[in-house]
Amino acid sequence: MSSSTEPATVTPRGALRRPAELARTVDVSGLVDTEGGLLDRAVFTDETVYRQEMRRVFAPSWLFLAHTDQFHRPGDFFTTWMGEDPVIVTMDRNRRIRAYLNSCRHRGARVCRADFGTTRNFTCTYHGWSFNLEGGLVSVPNREGYPDSFDTGQWGLVEVPHVETYRGLIFGTWNPAPVPLRESLGDMAWYMDAMLDHDEKGTVVVGGIHKWMLEGNWKLAAEQFATDWYHVNMSHASALMVLAPAGKKPKQEIVHRAGRQYVGANGHGAGFPVHPKNRFDDGTVHEWTDYDALRERLGDARVEGPLTNGHATVFPNFSYLPVNGSIRIWHPKGPDRMEVWAWTIVDASMPEEIREAQRLYNLRTFGPSGVFEQDDGENWSEVQGTAGGFMANRVALNYQMGLGGEREDGRHPGTTSELYSDAAGRSFYAHWRTLMNTPAWHEEHA
Amino acid sequence: MSITTSVNGRRSRAGLLADRDLHFEVEQFYFREAELLDDGRYADWLDLLADDLDYWMPTRTNRLRRQQAFAVAARGEAAFYDETKESLAWRIRRFDSGMAWAEDPPSRTRHLITNVVARHVDPGEHSGFTEDDLLVKSAFLVYRNRLEREENVFAGGRTDVLRRTPDGLLVARRTILLDQNVLMSKNISTFF
Repeated sequence: MSSSTEPATVTPRGALRRPAELARTVDVSGLVDTEGGLLDRAVFTDETVYRQEMRRVFAPSWLFLAHTDQFHRPGDFFTTWMGEDPVIVTMDRNRRIRAYLNSCRHRGARVCRADFGTTRNFTCTYHGWSFNLEGGLVSVPNREGYPDSFDTGQWGLVEVPHVETYRGLIFGTWNPAPVPLRESLGDMAWYMDAMLDHDEKGTVVVGGIHKWMLEGNWKLAAEQFATDWYHVNMSHASALMVLAPAGKKPKQEIVHRAGRQYVGANGHGAGFPVHPKNRFDDGTVHEWTDYDALRERLGDARVEGPLTNGHATVFPNFSYLPVNGSIRIWHPKGPDRMEVWAWTIVDASMPEEIREAQRLYNLRTFGPSGVFEQDDGENWSEVQGTAGGFMANRVALNYQMGLGGEREDGRHPGTTSELYSDAAGRSFYAHWRTLMNTPAWHEEHA
Repeated sequence: MSITTSVNGRRSRAGLLADRDLHFEVEQFYFREAELLDDGRYADWLDLLADDLDYWMPTRTNRLRRQQAFAVAARGEAAFYDETKESLAWRIRRFDSGMAWAEDPPSRTRHLITNVVARHVDPGEHSGFTEDDLLVKSAFLVYRNRLEREENVFAGGRTDVLRRTPDGLLVARRTILLDQNVLMSKNISTFF
């Protein structure tokens, strides 16, 4: 996995030699205690740890880029981030989806500053270097001023070497020799299919993207979506109240839910209540849904489990909520900040009025103005805010719920635990620790 | 622009700027509305909204200049608010639960409303409305200060249709354009 193969795009370095001291590497073994269920808060605050995450967690991992429904014809493009690197995702002239580092090879400015759109070329507005949809450098003003050795073939946009799609979700990795995406998802794919495979036509994006800033380390959100049903009753008490009929408290079966949590080996995690009558929250979506057909297609375990309510994270920073079709990425923006991008996806066969109901339900419950998600933002800024104190930073956090309860349950693939459990959080940080302590593809090997 | 024609012997006011008295009335209406929001009197704020309210705050995207026409999300696309009076009432119920932690302790907000330009509605452009109703553009600056040091500034513009009723003006249509791409705050827990 961590062979030092060169990336697909040749980037001449001449006599440049990057001094090793630029990248300080720390052994993070002592920051995560998975057996004891303890976490050192330095993982949320330390700048060195954060820089190392960019190199060893983000650079080698499959990162979510976009949904295939965002690309219909050549030249359709979408700009996003891989870690803190700006990237362009586009459909080339052969209708292949490709991704490039959004940075001019000449002086480094972004060659595309629009969020999305359609274009023929990406032209840097600094000196005018222009790149086609295949990433090739096609125009250089004052070309004759460069030496004979200047080869435009070596100065195209740096391409993301591997872009793969799983049921409409496009992922990319800078890793030149990655484990294939499907393999890296492992059993997680079974859980993802509960949202992505209702219908053989797959899913489509409805309505664009919500983007907002949060004061908090990216792992606070990724970890919560992997492992934390526990917070729902307290954090979202007001939202549960408004979902209940007027003047009534939430039903006891909502408050005391039994369920399972998937504890993935590669840091993925998902939690979901299990009940024969699990249903979509929005009334219109619920009425339209043919649960019998879904039982036929996905099986009882999924319809009674991860089909509707629940949470999930695909390591490192892609998460989703099946009940409202919210998919989101937590872009890291320094140790103490993240930017959330959230899409709403629906079944391709959903009629217009059902899509609209799901869109409205989603924006009223989740997203920055949603009655649920307003309170999440408050939690993470609070956790981040205290973690900066010297004493608070030294005091370990508790991830002991469900310790030792991980097992195979015979109904859901892989290892699972109780719904109320920190197990997927512990495995999230175990995988994080492994990557952080393993030299990545771009590092020199002894 | 309005075409001043005679309808039943009266000069049409469609599209004309409101006179000084009307303008004063509109501003006072907005200032009272801002006061209710800043005081957290959301149930009273709801009384200023028409039953058929359309309250919409779309997201805004960065687009190439030649695709700039699409820089505001269309109806049916991503929005921070896409509400009816009923759904706003539903959102407001959350604050009455006593467990809306994002606003407990409450933020301090100040809604500043300015740049008011009020015109008589042109019923040809807004069906179901009359020339007694008003099409009003305004700008807002909403300052939020939360807990010890958290600060957010929400700046933007609103386009309203205010309906004239026997009880005074009511907001019947409101489009809110926030002048941000990535929302520069952890949440939106107020209204505009």
